[in-house]
Amino acid sequence: MNLSKNTNDSLISAGTRLRDNRQITVSPTVQATQYATDLIFDVSGEEPQITRGKNHEFYIPLGENEFLKIVPALSEKGFVLISLFCVQDFEDNPGFSLFYMFRLSGYTDVFAFMRHVEMETTSIAKVFPSACWYEREISDGFGIEFTDAFDKRRLFLHEAYPEGFHPLLKSFKNGKIQAVKNPKEAYPFKQVEGKGVYQIPVGPVHAGIIEPGHFRFSVIGEPILNLEIRLFYKHRGIEKLAEGKRPSACIPIAEAISGDETVANAVSFCMAVEKIAGIEIPTRASYLRAILLELERIYSHMGDLSGMITDIGFPRMTTPFLIHREKFFRQNELLTGSRFMRSVIDLGGIKKDIPAEVLSKLAIYLKTFVPQFESEIKDVNASSSLIDRFSTTGILKKKFIVPLNLTGPIARAAGASYDVRLDHPYGIYKDKPPERAIKTTGDVLSRFKVKAAEILNSATLIQELIASIPEGAIVAEVTEFALSNIPHGYALSMVEAARGQNLHWVYVRNGLIERYKVRTASFCNWQAIEHAVLGNVVPDFPLINKSLNLSYAGTDL
Amino acid sequence: MVNPFTYIFRSKMTEEFEFSDAELEALGSELKTEVNKVFGHSLAIRELDSGSDNSTEIEISNLTTPHYDIERFGISFVASPRHADVLLVTGAVTLNMVEAVLKTYEAMPSPKFVVAVGDDACNGGIYKDSYAVLGGVDKILPVDVKIPGNPPSPKEILRGIFALVKKASQ
Repeated sequence: MNLSKNTNDSLISAGTRLRDNRQITVSPTVQATQYATDLIFDVSGEEPQITRGKNHEFYIPLGENEFLKIVPALSEKGFVLISLFCVQDFEDNPGFSLFYMFRLSGYTDVFAFMRHVEMETTSIAKVFPSACWYEREISDGFGIEFTDAFDKRRLFLHEAYPEGFHPLLKSFKNGKIQAVKNPKEAYPFKQVEGKGVYQIPVGPVHAGIIEPGHFRFSVIGEPILNLEIRLFYKHRGIEKLAEGKRPSACIPIAEAISGDETVANAVSFCMAVEKIAGIEIPTRASYLRAILLELERIYSHMGDLSGMITDIGFPRMTTPFLIHREKFFRQNELLTGSRFMRSVIDLGGIKKDIPAEVLSKLAIYLKTFVPQFESEIKDVNASSSLIDRFSTTGILKKKFIVPLNLTGPIARAAGASYDVRLDHPYGIYKDKPPERAIKTTGDVLSRFKVKAAEILNSATLIQELIASIPEGAIVAEVTEFALSNIPHGYALSMVEAARGQNLHWVYVRNGLIERYKVRTASFCNWQAIEHAVLGNVVPDFPLINKSLNLSYAGTDL
Repeated sequence: MVNPFTYIFRSKMTEEFEFSDAELEALGSELKTEVNKVFGHSLAIRELDSGSDNSTEIEISNLTTPHYDIERFGISFVASPRHADVLLVTGAVTLNMVEAVLKTYEAMPSPKFVVAVGDDACNGGIYKDSYAVLGGVDKILPVDVKIPGNPPSPKEILRGIFALVKKASQ
């Protein structure tokens, strides 16, 4: 059989060169900026010009030669590519600036390497496999061609979009376009050929109450030989929509990135803008934000637990988790007036204070919830038929974690320790670090256990936060004028959403959003599914998919 | 040997729910009466996401959870549009989903009804000026009932379904 142009090959080779975060020997006592300076000097013999960013990130513009030399070195040192995006005419520098965002274990700072390009440039996907989707995204958005890329297919622009249409170019003013009627070309899926190999196309419309996406299985009998996913059916143009708006008007857009990550994305967006404006939010607001963030994690994970059990057809075990989930939705409503905690997070703090009696009711509720939940998890662990389906199913290997930047509970179930709350602490997590829940097997069962443990950890953390929350203001003491007139600047912010590391980069110019780049954990984590399903039988696919629980809306934007 | 009386006199296996929502129960029984009359005891719904932010999907699937459990009112969510009386559409219809939305609708047998759920599906919501969406679902399908909200709660969705059943009876 012949696997034509399969990314697997390149992934494995990069994975062997890269080491997982905990094995890297770097001394955290060396300043990140110093470390980067030394590294670049060693590789290229040039002193880089480093600019400190506003939120623990720093920017390093590189010439083309230095950039090409530094890329393999970064891979060897264990740098993780966490995002790659393009900005047009950055700081009045005509043309396109590509931002390669990296993190390195041991450093809370994020390294942003900047590369100035014209309409054509080269790909780094052969060294950093996760760059593949980012580069395709940039090609769609800006029309930049990555000449030596191994995959040049369009990503979020499907057949309905005319050739040569690039929505993120400044020359395109947002508005309706003429869609292509009856497109002739079909999307070229990778072809897997050989005796007995056949394809199963699934989607975009699925059988359940679920979001749209396409899965193309190549199977021999029951086992899956290859899976290729095609997403972006829900591309709504979020990044373009934010451009030209006042930052305060963009909070509803951030909340709509993914419905069940409403708080995480709103908080992350607001943090970036607050850093640009130099606004410090009051301690009480930090506490309240963290309580809402943790509640969001609980109800999201609770849905996954019930979903995994639903997908093995075991309703008796599903019911308790569904009941808890609805109760958490109702707690959300009591706290904020919205079941998804919408329109609560605001620039400078939060919109409405949560009275002490409502918080203490939540604490009392959590006290009864914890032992009940623990006994239900015990029931699950005691069910041999359930364990039989969960165990050894959909194994995600640890070697994919760094090359694909897999984060969140799915990575922590496969032996990674990374958690934005602990590795790049923000808000109240600096003072109140949550516990890490780590498993090493990487199968559905470990994902179930990690998510269950995280629910308990979050419940404990919320109780602690409620017990120690100070009185005081809930919005920063700045004028209305300051909040509606954010100064010129840019900043990166990251949060640990229920699904993992969400990254927001905001660039404000003349008080308006010039560029808003969002990268949710799902964008990276989706690529894990193509590896986790291999060798499993097709009927286990829904279970594996649910155990990864990825957001289509958060990926498609 | 097992004494058969232990089965008769033992306490009930099912737990009492501590929640009870009189409003939901009243709405449900009214809905059930109408579904019995208009749709011959069973209303089959197919849900279709044409570009929502996924919160609406969560609220729709919450309708099948123990607190709401709408199957007891004669309503079920079906896997295929070929089995459906009603299409519940969420989202502002992205250009990438237009074809799939039309195909799903065409696959349904007549008579068929369309309900738009959530602000985006009703009129495009925050996306209405975006290049990537058409606007509301009514841009491509005949919409019978609109259920606004960001997202609407399960009870609001149920009220919308009730409004549809009422409309269908006319």
